[in-house]
Amino acid sequence: MTYVGKPIKRLYDDKFVTGKSTYVDDIQINSLYAGFVRSPYAHARIKSIDVSDALKVPGIVAVFTAKDLQVKEGIGIWTTYEDPKQWKFLPRRPLAEKEVKYVGDPVAIVIGTDKYNVRDAIDKVNVDYEKLPAVIKMEEALEDKVLVHEELKTNVAFDQTFNGGNVDEAFKNADRKIEVEVTNNRLIPNPMEPRGIISRYEGGFLTIWYSTQVPHTARAEFSRVLGIPASRIRVIMPDVGGAFGSKVNILPEDVAVVLSSIKLGRPVRWTATRSEEMISSEARHNTFKGEVAFKTDGTILGIRGELIVDMGAYLTYTSPIQPVIIPLMIPGPYKIQNISVRSKAVYTNTPPITMYRGASRPEATFIIERIMSNVADELGIDDVTIRERNMITNTPYVNPLGLKYDSGDYLGLLREGVKKLEYEKLKAWAKAMREKGRKVGVGMAFYLEISGFGPWEFGEVRVTETGDVIVTTGGTPHGQGGETGIAQVVADELQIDIDRIKVIWGDTEVVASGMGTYGSRTAAAAASAAKVAATKVLEKMKKFAAKMLKVDVEEVKYSSGEFEANGRKVSWNEVAEFAYKSDEPGVFEQLILPGDVTYPYGVHIAVVEVDDYGIAKVSEYKAYDDIGVVINPALAEGQVHGGATQAVGQAILEEAIINEEGQLAVTYADYLIPTAVEAPKFESYFAEKPHASQYPSGAKGVGEAALIVGPAAIVRALEDATGKRFNHTPVRPEELIE
Amino acid sequence: MLVRPGEKVKIKVKVNGIWYEREVEPRKLLVHFLRDDLGLTGTKIGCDTSTCGACTVLMNGKSVKSCTLLAVQADGAEITTIEGGDGKLHAIQEAFKDNFALQCGYCTPGMIMQSYYLLSENPSPSEEEIREGLHGNICRCTGYQNIVKAVQDASRRLRA
Repeated sequence: MTYVGKPIKRLYDDKFVTGKSTYVDDIQINSLYAGFVRSPYAHARIKSIDVSDALKVPGIVAVFTAKDLQVKEGIGIWTTYEDPKQWKFLPRRPLAEKEVKYVGDPVAIVIGTDKYNVRDAIDKVNVDYEKLPAVIKMEEALEDKVLVHEELKTNVAFDQTFNGGNVDEAFKNADRKIEVEVTNNRLIPNPMEPRGIISRYEGGFLTIWYSTQVPHTARAEFSRVLGIPASRIRVIMPDVGGAFGSKVNILPEDVAVVLSSIKLGRPVRWTATRSEEMISSEARHNTFKGEVAFKTDGTILGIRGELIVDMGAYLTYTSPIQPVIIPLMIPGPYKIQNISVRSKAVYTNTPPITMYRGASRPEATFIIERIMSNVADELGIDDVTIRERNMITNTPYVNPLGLKYDSGDYLGLLREGVKKLEYEKLKAWAKAMREKGRKVGVGMAFYLEISGFGPWEFGEVRVTETGDVIVTTGGTPHGQGGETGIAQVVADELQIDIDRIKVIWGDTEVVASGMGTYGSRTAAAAASAAKVAATKVLEKMKKFAAKMLKVDVEEVKYSSGEFEANGRKVSWNEVAEFAYKSDEPGVFEQLILPGDVTYPYGVHIAVVEVDDYGIAKVSEYKAYDDIGVVINPALAEGQVHGGATQAVGQAILEEAIINEEGQLAVTYADYLIPTAVEAPKFESYFAEKPHASQYPSGAKGVGEAALIVGPAAIVRALEDATGKRFNHTPVRPEELIE
Repeated sequence: MLVRPGEKVKIKVKVNGIWYEREVEPRKLLVHFLRDDLGLTGTKIGCDTSTCGACTVLMNGKSVKSCTLLAVQADGAEITTIEGGDGKLHAIQEAFKDNFALQCGYCTPGMIMQSYYLLSENPSPSEEEIREGLHGNICRCTGYQNIVKAVQDASRRLRA
C-alpha cells in the first residue's frame, strides 16, 4: 500500500480526544506562578514603583521590575528573513524601564506560590506614572509630532521604495487610471491555547517548556538575550494549541519569566490569560494608497503608491516581514511590468504586531485583487475576464520586483476552477435572487502565494532494532497534521506500514536542528528532508542486507519489506536486527536539506447573504487550488476550511478595536471569532494535474492559502450582494445596511 | 455560611465516578479545581470569559463552562470531564478522529463534552441544530465542517 495522496487518518489523535494532550499549562511540575503588572496608559513615564504592599500578600515570593532583570541584549528580529540594517529599532527589554509605550506594556513581574495570590499582589503594586502624549493612529504617527521612541528621533522604522519596470512611462501610456485605497485593519491571531512558558534553571542548565512553533530559533534567541550558550539551553515544545504564526514571536514576558527562574533558582511558569494573549500578538493593519494605470481592454500597465504598515510600539521578532514582502507580492499572478511602491513601517503607542497566517501575502493579495475588481468595475468587465487578460501565461517567471515564480498554469487553473466551482451558475443564481429582493452575492478572487521559505530544514530517520522507524523532524506541527504527512512520505519511501513510524519533533535536545512549521512550509521543507533521509537510510539497509546475503550491494533489490539477491531474501526486520547487533545500533541518517521558496496558487469563491440588519453570512466557500503534490487531501482540505473560516472573520467579524486612549478591546465579547453558526459550508478541490515544487516531496504548501485569498473573495461577494464598494476589512454591518 | 478571606471551605464533588473531598478557597473556579487540585488537565482554559467553551464539562448531566462556576457551587454535584470515559473510546471520540474533526486539539475536550450533551438531549440533530448546539464552543482551526460531520457520524453510531 502507498500512502502519499490518500486521506490517511491523523496518527496521534487519541490523546487529544481523551484529554491526555499536554499543553504547557497542563504540565504538572512544582513551580512558582508569574503574573504581570501592566501599563494602563498608552504612553507614560514611570516615576516610581512601590512593591512593598504586593510583597505582603501571602505566598508572594518576589516582585521584579526592570532594574532587577538585566539582559545581555534585548529581543531582536528574525535575522533569517529580516535585515536589521534596514530598520530603526530598539531591542526589546523584558520589562519597561523608564517609559511604557502601550496599554498592557509589562512593568513588573509578580511571582508567588498560588495563581490567585499572584493576581491579588498584581493589584497591590503601586506604579506612579506621568502620562505622556500618545500617538495611536499610524497616519498621525508619520507626522512625528509625538515620538514613540525618543531615541530613534522618528516613528518611521522602515522606509524603502520597491521599483520595477518604468512606472512613469506606464502611466503616460495608459488609457485610464484610477486611485485606490486598500486597508487591512488590525487583527488578533487568537490561537485557542494562550501562550505560556515554564522555565527551570538547574546546575547551569536551562530547561524551557514553551508554547512555541520554533523551539530551535527560540533557543538561539534566548541564548543571545541571556548570554547563556545555546548548548546549555533546552527548549521543549509540548502540544501547542494553535499558533498561526503568532508563536514564532518571543515575548518580553517570556524573557522575564526565564530570568526570574534563574534569579530565584526555582521553576517559574506563566500562562497568558486570553486578554494577555490578545495584547501579546496582533496582526495586519496596513493601508495602500495609490493609483493604477490601465488600457481600456483591461490590461494593467502599472501600479504606484505608498504602503503604510503599523508596527505597534515595538518591533517584534516577526513584524519586519510584512513591510518587505507585501510590495514584492503585489504584482501577484499578473504580468504587470511596472510598479513602484514606497513601503513605510511606523511605530504607534499600540500593542505590537506579529506575523499571522499569511503574514504579508494576505495584504498583497487583497491589494492586487481589489485593484483587479476595481478596474473591472471601472471598465464594465467581469472578474474572470479582467484576470484572464492580465494573467501570466508562462512559468518560470520573474516578476518586476525580482521574485522568481517556479511553476504553474495560472490561467489554466483559473478557467478550470471557475468551471469546477460553478462560478457563473452561482452568479446567475445570485442575480435572480437579488431580483426577488434577497441581498445575496457571489465573489471570486485569485491568489499566488509565496511559501516554503527556505533556507533549509532538518530531517532524521532511524531504524530501531525491531524495524520500526523513528522520524525526527525539524518541522514543528501544532495542529496541521504535518506529522502524519511526513510519516506518509517516509512510509512510501521505505515501503513499510505507516503504523511502524513514529514522528518526533519540538525538543532541542532530541532534534539536532530545525527551522519549524510556519509559512506553509512543512509539507515542502520538513517532509522533503525526512524523505531524503529515508532514501539514504534505505541505502544503508541495503548494505546490511548485502552483508547478510553475502553479495555486493548493487545486487540487492528492495521491495515492500524484503531485500532480495540471487533468489534469496531477508526481511526488513531481520536486516534491522542484524544492523542493530553489528556496528551500527539503529541505522540512521540525518541531514539538513536546503530549500527555496515555492508558489502555490488558486481560485476561491464565496457566497454571501446580507440580512435587513446588515449582518452578513458567508453561506458557501469554495476553493480550487494547485498546492503541488497533495500528500494528504483530507489534511490539506482541513487547512482550507480553517484558513477560510479565519478569512470570514477578517472579512466581516474580526477587528482589534483600539480606542483613542490606546485601550484595546481584550475579550471574545468584543473580538468576534467565527463559531459553527457563522462558518460557511465548504467545498475544496485540488488541481488534478498539480505543478510540483522543486522540493523532493513535490509539495508547495497549503496552510495559509485560504486566509490569503479568502478576504478578497468574500468582500467581492459583499459588493455583489449590496452594490456597494469596500476596499477594506472588516466590512461592518453599518456599512452593509442601507 | 460566612467564610473569611484566606479561609477555605470543605467541598465534596463526584468527578468521573469518584468522590473527592477537598478544602478550597471560595473564589476558586471549578476549572482550576479540576485541573490544579485534581490534576484533570483534559479540561482546558481558552478565554476566561465563558465565551470559548474549551472548559466545558458536564455537571449533573448538563453541560457547563467550568470557568464560570466556582468549585463551591459544585459541592455535592456529579461532574464528568473528558477523562470520564471507560477506557475505550466513546463513539463521539471515534467520530472526531475519523472525520478529521480536530487540528490543534485544544478545543476538542470541550467540543466533545458539548457534543455529548447535545446528543443526549437530541439524539438525531439536524445540521443546523448541531451548529446551534456548538455555538458556545470556539474552534480556531477546523472551520467546524468536520466537527459537524463528526457529530452527525456519532449520532448515527449511537443510534445503530
